[in-house]
Amino acid sequence: MATIIINGTEYTLPEGERLNAIQAAQRFGVEIPYYCWHPALSVVANCRMCEIQVGSKDPKTGEIKMIPKMVPGCQTPAKDGTVIVTDSPEVRSHQAMIMEYLLINHPLDCPVCDQAGQCGLQDYSYRHGQAIHRFVEERTVNPRKDVSDQIQLNMDRCIMCTRCVRFCREITRTNELQVERRGNHAEITIFPDRPLDNPMAGNVVDLCPVGALLDKDFLHKQRYWFNDQHSSVCTRCSTGCNIVAEENRGQIWRLRARYNPKVNDYWICDEGRSSYKSANDANLLPAMYLREGGQPREAPVDRALDTARTRLKEIARQGGTIAAVISPFLTVEEAYLLASYIKGLSGEAVLALGPVPVVGEDQTFAPDQRQGRTGDTSFVVPRPFTIRAEKCPNRNGVERILKHFQGEVIPIDRLRERAASTPFDALYITGGGHEPAYEGQEWTKLRDGAKFLVVQDVWPTDLAGTADVILSSATFAEKAGCYVNATGRLQYASAALPPRDGSLPDLDILAILAERPGGGPISSRDVLSELAGQVPAFAAVRSLDGPFPEFGLPLDGSEEPTPGMFRYVDPWHAPRGRVSLAT
Amino acid sequence: MAAFEPVLTRNFAVENSQSLKVYEGRGGYQAAKKALTTMSPDELVQLVKDSELRGRGGAGFPTGLKWSFLPKDRAETFMCVNGDESEPATFNNRYLLERDPHQMIEGIIISCFATRASTAYLYNRFEYIAATRVMERAIAEARAAGYLGKNIFGSGFDLEIYVHRGAGAYICGEETGLIESLEGKRGWPRIKPPFPAVEGAFRKPTVVNNIETLCCVPHIVERGADWFKSIGTPKSYGPKLYTISGHVNKQVCVELPLGVTTRQLIEEHAGGVWKGRKAKAAVPGGISMGLLSADELDVPLDFEEIRKTGCLGLGTAAVTVIDDQTPIMDVLYNTCRFFAHESCGQCTPCREGTTWFYKTMKRIKAGGGRLEDLDVMEQLAKNLGITPGTTICGLADGAAWPIKNAMTKFRPELEEYIRSHQQADKKPTALQEAIFRGVSPSLFDSSLPEPSEPLPGPTAPGHNPRVSPGT
Repeated sequence: MATIIINGTEYTLPEGERLNAIQAAQRFGVEIPYYCWHPALSVVANCRMCEIQVGSKDPKTGEIKMIPKMVPGCQTPAKDGTVIVTDSPEVRSHQAMIMEYLLINHPLDCPVCDQAGQCGLQDYSYRHGQAIHRFVEERTVNPRKDVSDQIQLNMDRCIMCTRCVRFCREITRTNELQVERRGNHAEITIFPDRPLDNPMAGNVVDLCPVGALLDKDFLHKQRYWFNDQHSSVCTRCSTGCNIVAEENRGQIWRLRARYNPKVNDYWICDEGRSSYKSANDANLLPAMYLREGGQPREAPVDRALDTARTRLKEIARQGGTIAAVISPFLTVEEAYLLASYIKGLSGEAVLALGPVPVVGEDQTFAPDQRQGRTGDTSFVVPRPFTIRAEKCPNRNGVERILKHFQGEVIPIDRLRERAASTPFDALYITGGGHEPAYEGQEWTKLRDGAKFLVVQDVWPTDLAGTADVILSSATFAEKAGCYVNATGRLQYASAALPPRDGSLPDLDILAILAERPGGGPISSRDVLSELAGQVPAFAAVRSLDGPFPEFGLPLDGSEEPTPGMFRYVDPWHAPRGRVSLAT
Repeated sequence: MAAFEPVLTRNFAVENSQSLKVYEGRGGYQAAKKALTTMSPDELVQLVKDSELRGRGGAGFPTGLKWSFLPKDRAETFMCVNGDESEPATFNNRYLLERDPHQMIEGIIISCFATRASTAYLYNRFEYIAATRVMERAIAEARAAGYLGKNIFGSGFDLEIYVHRGAGAYICGEETGLIESLEGKRGWPRIKPPFPAVEGAFRKPTVVNNIETLCCVPHIVERGADWFKSIGTPKSYGPKLYTISGHVNKQVCVELPLGVTTRQLIEEHAGGVWKGRKAKAAVPGGISMGLLSADELDVPLDFEEIRKTGCLGLGTAAVTVIDDQTPIMDVLYNTCRFFAHESCGQCTPCREGTTWFYKTMKRIKAGGGRLEDLDVMEQLAKNLGITPGTTICGLADGAAWPIKNAMTKFRPELEEYIRSHQQADKKPTALQEAIFRGVSPSLFDSSLPEPSEPLPGPTAPGHNPRVSPGT
């Protein structure tokens, strides 16, 4: 247990935590402004914004001795007896001085800057800066350039915090970025013909405290403050990175990383970052369809659902064979509802796991505690980041459900073989995902393997075109629910968009088909507690009480909440209306 | 003064002084032999501590104390010899390297033995091409003679010296900047702690010493700590190389006991101020140390006394004399240009502040100066340099000090310069002035009256009216 004194008040830090002054002060609601420091990167202390007065208290005499100079908070460990002063006139004047310096060459083009609204310079100017400026000389304007096809670097806005440089050195260890030239002309740059194109490059945009590094994909598209921020989970691969989906006017504009030390730390990969585009795709199924006269015809939602429900019920009553394909893009709740619905129709029904897309091999970025870093790195907790080859979010979760309902996981190929030899009376296929899965002849053959075919998907695929009923369902952004990532962690993703016209979220479709009391809409949390009571693989959920855990729930084994694992964002990314992270 | 016998420069005038034969013939490598065969490393450290040898590189940190900061249980130690002598007008290290390389090597051998470093890097300034060649030749000679390599003097001590030439940056003379540069990285100083003694070059304990400091070590071993302390003034012992340049008749490098005065240097060694003029000011030891006015020329140039004049310290003891015909503004202009060019660009205050100085000086020189510019510069200099800890390394202090000194010592002259050098078209534009005065942009260039309550005028950032009203 360590006692630290911040601005004259004593606070107690729990045992076993290594915090610096910024983190310790933030814990107790005192803000120390900073730019260059980031918990995952080496401490370089070059912005000088976090300078504070530091001293130590003698445990025996109680005498407080202050260091005569100011010290950056980022390199000051919060130890027992540390005394921190953050609100003295000296500290404030220093902060005002740094703000004055930083704005000398900064263009103040906030009205056309994408960072505006979540900008460290803006927030701190407001808090610590001043309205007048004494600089009357020509400004130094460093050039604007592209560091890759995707990322633009506005050197004129840069404050040389070098977070991006350290990210490329220490996290991806690809070393694309470096500093070139000296003094006022120093600029961040790439080597000629070596663009910043590593698979995690987009994170430098999130890292940049000002509007220097910008994603061209988002450039001048939306003002940050108009976007609603939705906590979600990336569905691009089975890592299940935590993300924020920014939505405005029924469209997703970008995805940003959300901190989860157990999964993705502070990062997401570029592939995941651009995966939002599938939710805005113009080709998504615009309505539900029924096959009439050999052609799929648009049908009202209720009629499509009614047809599917009555036909499936009829086939089940007649003792027909029924099979369902559960896509690994479905949430745990949807998979559970679908499985229990189909098994409820017929105990003999076959459940298969939908196609699991695998591209390439897993790619892991393993930052080292010391390698490539500078200074005292004992505060840094290096966490590996994996981009998985398995490009679906919930194979693990669906398999758990399948094992519960039929004891084994039947891969889709086995189902196709069986359908080819002895056709099913009814086949229920689910899809979803970022690309159409059921395209091409190999899939349209399934049509012959079923007398009655229902396809529930977001894409108009070749297979869907041959189906008797096409149920238009929800993209990853339009539905809420839980996914189980590759390491067996259950994570909740909220919906970022309302359902498209003519579609229903998968959970509601299934609730209506299964004729649950009350029908839809239905809450994913209700289904989750129901399935937790039934499926032993989800027993861990039973103990869940109150809000869903911030960092997800490990289904196998338990984990103690690690001290100090509170949600981290840079203050300028704090929720709207708050300039500070400190409470 | 007559009793003073030069030791560091004793071989300078000897013909072919760079060769091993001449050096050995004049008693060379005897101190190294004595140290390695009869003394233990700890005894050597104690000896240097007793001699109170202070670092000659600028800060004047006690060398023996620096060596004792090395962790006791270290497995490997590196010695970095700082030959990145880039302070304007300093050239004493160059003399030591070019004229007596074996004295340097002997100093390195003894110091490495004392610190148990078996690898030494001699980091030479980029421009010291000749010195690098001389050193490389001397090292090869010494290695052939068995003074370097394995088992030196049969003591079981191994040592290799590598000469590394920098890439032309002033900042690499800062010890952690030097280490970064040596590692092949950009010469950006590191934050401390960890100090180099604990984690330096290649993450190993490292000692960084100046060339002249190490050159003193053989003589201390040879003649003892008491001899060393018999030279110089209290707290500043030993001989020191002074370089005198600027507006003097003879620009020289002389070895003298610490504590001579600037006037002595000018009159006795440099042949007086040139063209029969008088000295107006002098730089005591490299421009980053500040400025001495004409009536401070009798202050002893040692580690302690010089601080009382408001200068930062002795620095490299490179005295630059400025005659009475030279405007101080010109000196400051050059100074500001130098620091703006050499700031590494890492810390915000230095990166922006040094360039701000330079741009303001440029405008004043061009005739666009305003008297309030001096106030702004003084405040900036205070912000940059008066609170230690503003930046990672001392470059910002060095950049601010000459300005602070000039503002206190030469303010009337600077004001007169601005008044007499006015060019209307070089002044800040009306808009820039308006921003400076805090006029609301919407009122600028309009017929509307100014706000009844004027916005605050130019204040030090430290007195931010928004943060601390009323102060």
